[in-house]
Amino acid sequence: MPTAAIVARQLRRVYPRAPPGVAAIDSLDLEVPSGGVYGLIGRNGAGKTTFVRIAATQLKPTSGTLEVLGTDAVRTPERVRPRIACVPQESRPLYFLTVEQAARFNLQLRGFDRRESRRRTTEVLEELSLADVRHRSISRLSGGQRRRVMVAMILATDAELLFLDEPTTGLDPLARREVWAALRRVRREARTILLTTHYLDEAESLSDRLALIEKGRVILEGTPAELRRRVAYPFRVTLRGGFAREELDSFGRVSSVEDGFLVFAQEPAARELARLALERGVQVALGPADLEDIFLEVVGRPIDAEENAPDDGERP
Amino acid sequence: MTTSPRWRSVLTLIQLNGLVPIRAQPLYLVNLLASPLSFLFFITIASQGRLLNYGVAGGMILTMLSVGTGLQSDLTHYRHDLKFQDVIVASPVTAPVYLIGMALSEFVYSLPGMAVFLGLWVTMGWANPASAVVLFGALVLVWAFASTLGFTLATYFEDVRETFMFSPLISLGLSVLPPVYYPLAALPGWAQVVARFSPTTYAAELVQSAVGLAPLDATTQLFAWLALFGFTGGLLALSAVRARWREP
Ligand SMILES: Nc1ncnc2c1ncn2[C@@H]1O[C@H](COP(=O)(O)OP(=O)(O)OP(=O)(O)O)[C@@H](O)[C@H]1O
Ligand SMILES: [Mg+2]
Repeated sequence: MPTAAIVARQLRRVYPRAPPGVAAIDSLDLEVPSGGVYGLIGRNGAGKTTFVRIAATQLKPTSGTLEVLGTDAVRTPERVRPRIACVPQESRPLYFLTVEQAARFNLQLRGFDRRESRRRTTEVLEELSLADVRHRSISRLSGGQRRRVMVAMILATDAELLFLDEPTTGLDPLARREVWAALRRVRREARTILLTTHYLDEAESLSDRLALIEKGRVILEGTPAELRRRVAYPFRVTLRGGFAREELDSFGRVSSVEDGFLVFAQEPAARELARLALERGVQVALGPADLEDIFLEVVGRPIDAEENAPDDGERP
Repeated sequence: MTTSPRWRSVLTLIQLNGLVPIRAQPLYLVNLLASPLSFLFFITIASQGRLLNYGVAGGMILTMLSVGTGLQSDLTHYRHDLKFQDVIVASPVTAPVYLIGMALSEFVYSLPGMAVFLGLWVTMGWANPASAVVLFGALVLVWAFASTLGFTLATYFEDVRETFMFSPLISLGLSVLPPVYYPLAALPGWAQVVARFSPTTYAAELVQSAVGLAPLDATTQLFAWLALFGFTGGLLALSAVRARWREP
C-alpha cells in the first residue's frame, strides 16, 4: 500500500479542565509510513498515549486533521476501526477468563469463526510462551504474564495497523525478546505497528523510524541512524578517573558519573580524547551514542533548565 | 451454518461476560436472585400477603432494572480499570453490538430470578397468551431502557465507586417512586405526576392491567405503550449521540 498508515497535521488535544493554554499534544505533525514498526518515545506526560488514543479513534482531537489507513479518522472513525487493533496503556485482559479464552474470544469478537480463532490462538500462545498457562485463569497470572496475554490478543488479529502502548512494561528480559520476535513477525507480514516504549534499547532495535515527543510536539524524527546523526555529540567516551573536569570541557559535554566522567563529543574530539586517555593509562571506552544518550541530550537539558525557567513550552 | 460477524460478536459477548463467569462462579446467580426476592418477601410480610400479587408483577420489572444497573457497574469497571472499552473501540465491534451483547450477557444473570417469578406468575393463575404478550413486551422494553441507560452512564463515570453512588438513585427513581410495587392510584396526586416521567410506571401499569390487578381502558393502554416505546427510543437516540464511545 503506497499511502502512509497515519498522517497527522497540526493535531492538538486539550483535555477538559486542563490549565489554560496547556495542550497534551500541540501542533503535532507526524507521518507514519505503511509497513514496519514506528516507535514513539518521550518522557512521562509527553503526549504519547494521547496521540495513540487519538489515532486509534478512542479520543477526539480538539483540532487538526488525521488520516489513518487513508481514511479521515476524525470524521469517519467507523471506517478505520475494523482495520486496527490496540493494546492500550495499562490495559489488562478480563480476569475471569482463561488465557486461551481471552485470546480466542477477542478473535471471535472481531468476526473470526471458531476454528480460525482456535488456530490463531494456539499459534500466538506458542509464540509468546503462554501455551503452558493456556488454561489458567488470568486472575492467577503474574503482572508480566497478563501483559503478554494482552499483547497476544492483539497480535493474533489480522489488523493492518496495531497500536501498542507500552506493551513490554513489566516484562522480564526474555519475555520482552519474545514480544520483539513476535513484532518482527508482524512486520514481515507488511503490517504497521505504532509502538510506545520507555525502553530505548527496544525502541532502537525494533523501530524502522522513531519520533521523540516532548510537550506534545515531535522534536526529533527519523530512522535510529538519522537520529544519531542529528544530535550535536554523536559519540560517547567513558573515562575512569585520570582527568580533571576542566580539562574535559573543551571536548564536548561532560557529566560526572560514578568513578569518572562521561563525555559526549563529535567524532574527532572523541578519538582525540580516547587517544589521550590511553597515553595516560586511563581506562576508556569509546562508542556511538545510543538512543538513551540522545534522549538525555535532547530532553535532559531542558529538565535542568526547568528548575528555574518558567514553563513556556518552547523547545528547540 | 454461517454466522454473520455481528451476530458472532454478540454471541461471544454473551459467552464472555455471562456464561463463562457464571460457570466459574455460580454464586453470581444466587446473588441476583436474592435482591428481587427479598423485596418480594418484605412486601408480602409487610402487607400480610395482600400485596404479593403486586410484588410478583413488580419484581420482574425490578429484575430487568437490575440488569441495567449491573451492566452499568460492569462496563464502568471494564472501561476504567481494564481499558476494555478502548480495546473494543479500536476493533470491528460497534457500540450497538457491544451494548446488545453486554446487555444480553447481563440478562443471563437474571434468569433464575425470572424463572422464580414466572413460576409465581403461573401459580397466580395469570398465565394466558394475552398477558404473556404484554408481560414480554413490557419487560423487553424495560430491559432495553435500563441497559441503554447503564451503558451510556458507564461511558461517563470516572470510577466504579461513582456507579455505587448512582445505582441506588436510579433504583429509587425508576422502581421505588414509580408504582412498580403498588397501584398508581395509591400515590398522592403530585407523586402521580412525577411518576409519569418514569418508563417503569407505564410498564407496571400495563403488566398490572394485563393480569387484572388494575385494569386500564384501551386508550390508556395505548398511551402507556407509546410512552414506554417513546422513553426507550428516546434514550437510545440520546445514547447514540451522547454516549462517550470515543472520548470527546
Ligand atoms: N484524561 C486526562 N485528563 C486530563 N489530562 C490528561 C489526561 N490524560 C493525560 N492528560 C495529560 O496530558 C499530558 C500527556 O499525557 P499522556 O498520557 O499522553 O503522556 P504519555 O507520553 O503517554 O506519558 P507516559 O509515558 O507517562 O505514559 C499529560 O500532561 C497528562 O497530565
Ligand atoms: Mg502513556
